[in-house]
Amino acid sequence: MNYFQLFNIEVSFDVDLQQLSSNYQTLQKTVHPDKFVHASEQEQRIAVQKSAHINDAYQILKNPLQRAQYMLVQRGVEMPNEQHSFQDTSFLMRQMDLREMLEDVKHSADVDAALLEVQSVLSAEYLTLSQLMRAQISENNAASNSVACDNLRKLKFYQKLNVEVDRLEDSLLDD
Amino acid sequence: MAYSEKVLDHYENPRNVGSMDKNDPSVATGMVGAPACGDVMKLQLKISDDGIIEDAKFKTYGCGSAIASSSLVTEWVKGKSIEEAGKIKNTAIAEELALPPVKIHCSILAEDAIKAAIEDYKSKQSK
Repeated sequence: MNYFQLFNIEVSFDVDLQQLSSNYQTLQKTVHPDKFVHASEQEQRIAVQKSAHINDAYQILKNPLQRAQYMLVQRGVEMPNEQHSFQDTSFLMRQMDLREMLEDVKHSADVDAALLEVQSVLSAEYLTLSQLMRAQISENNAASNSVACDNLRKLKFYQKLNVEVDRLEDSLLDD
Repeated sequence: MAYSEKVLDHYENPRNVGSMDKNDPSVATGMVGAPACGDVMKLQLKISDDGIIEDAKFKTYGCGSAIASSSLVTEWVKGKSIEEAGKIKNTAIAEELALPPVKIHCSILAEDAIKAAIEDYKSKQSK
């Protein structure tokens, strides 16, 4: 049973997060420890394992990049090894620029405005790429799955940048 | 996780940080990235007409091990021919810096950066 079937939702990149969350809660109730107070040790252990499995599945489907990766792997797309370095020069040059831009925020005259500017650039680029990936995933053929996979790898660089942006925001608030 | 002394040394005093003009025909640029951790590494080599690496610069956004790996590589490649530099293995980098297994990919990134730079140089030469 795949994760979509587990939550009884359609296999699609466009997940109704509210429905996912409510189906998740319903499902977790069926394996809640309170229900197994009088059950055998083995049944209790199975319930705990099921609960962990449901939780893993939920975390993956909830997150768009993990959901995309899960769908591509399910389709048998060979994901490049995470250790394998990425060598799209122009994309990486852009990533360098974005990181430099972020680095310059704290030296800028108007820090808040500079941070907002970086955030808006990042979210626009993220949106463009993720819409591209979404279309490629729904197209679902060998060629589109393979480019979706490339775009997923690219989106991970933006995900990392967003973590850095949040970190910077926190450090600015502390000052 | 504790970094080794050598990693800390390169991290605190990185060698050869900077940029060269990527459009200069004698400058080779290698760009590599690791999607898993979001690290981005740029290695640039200034190569003489007889194929000797005269200077090297790097810029890396990533963890301490990634910065140390690229910093170390800039020291190692200087004075080498591109053939010799192309033979530098990630295992040697990892060993020199005493990288733990979870950080081996940082040394792979640095090895790939050298290879990407050499590729860039070769494609510039054939133009």
